[in-house]
Amino acid sequence: MATILMVFCVISAGGLAFVYLFTQPQIDKNAKLTFENSLREVLPGSADFEEVRCEEAQVFRSEKGYAVLVTPRGYSGPVKMLVGVDKQGEVVKIKILDQKETPGLGANVVKPGFLSQFSGKTERDKLEPKQDIDAITGATITSRAACQGVKQALKCRRKIR
Amino acid sequence: MSYWKDLNAGIIKENPVLRLMIGLCPTLAVSNNAVNALGMSVAVAFVLICSNWVIAAIRKWTPDDIRIPIFIIVISTFVTISDYIMQAYYPELYAALGVFVPLIVVNCIILGRAEAFAYRNPVLNSILDGVGMSLGFALALVSIGVIREILGAGTVFGIQLFNAAVAATIMVLPPGAFITIGVLMAFLNKMENKVL
Repeated sequence: MATILMVFCVISAGGLAFVYLFTQPQIDKNAKLTFENSLREVLPGSADFEEVRCEEAQVFRSEKGYAVLVTPRGYSGPVKMLVGVDKQGEVVKIKILDQKETPGLGANVVKPGFLSQFSGKTERDKLEPKQDIDAITGATITSRAACQGVKQALKCRRKIR
Repeated sequence: MSYWKDLNAGIIKENPVLRLMIGLCPTLAVSNNAVNALGMSVAVAFVLICSNWVIAAIRKWTPDDIRIPIFIIVISTFVTISDYIMQAYYPELYAALGVFVPLIVVNCIILGRAEAFAYRNPVLNSILDGVGMSLGFALALVSIGVIREILGAGTVFGIQLFNAAVAATIMVLPPGAFITIGVLMAFLNKMENKVL
């Protein structure tokens, strides 16, 4: 009986190894492409990105500015967001890469209506929900997390520069 | 005639979700919009048809005592294959379905059909059973997805029908899935008494 089970396992493992071999390069390529597209989205017109270290975030530098990857704590997990900051220290665009907020409430954080408010903000701005940023209805914690993320990104850019 | 019966059974009469009430976990989770529901249905159909086919083909060499581990190996192999293929060629869909693709392994519909049908029937009947059950699953999932998306977000397949502000958000949250499934089941039970 054990032999039969083993035969099945071997056949299955062999089949999977085969599928893995020809899908893996494509999967890696997709992941890289998706990330690069996101970088270009937050810093339009950039050609190449170079990774720079900062203590609390990953920073990608291009000739247009900096794309900072920050993960502030949201309501139900980390909100992974990419913040594009130009050379003058103004926020260009924000893209949410991953979030687990409540659908219909906190998940609205991905909507351009909320994110576009940050464009043009600098470190001199308060960046507080209900003050200079309109919070997402019913999602104060998520709104605060987004603000926190932007602040962190701006701080990072200052340190690097 | 029997082929037709095997194919037909899963669609309405033994609809996995609304009649047999199995596979409810992915149903609740990914039926919040029509596109996710359709993507999940396609992945389940692939796994179910392939696993029914293989299990029916190997049923004579499968010792009774270890049939469940063998079913699981066959099913998880196909699930992993569909997982890889989706990641490689349909990354947007994969991003939407997320953890529910690997979880097809424990979808009761697939193990249930392996045990109840494919293990006891010839290959062709089992494939047809898989096709029928997949269609039934897709029918249920997409109906639930469309209803929830319209009522909860005011869209269908991503196309805006009316202002989202008047939509009932609860419908795209988990309670909306329970409500929709309950109403559909009641409707189907009522219909059965009249038609079937």
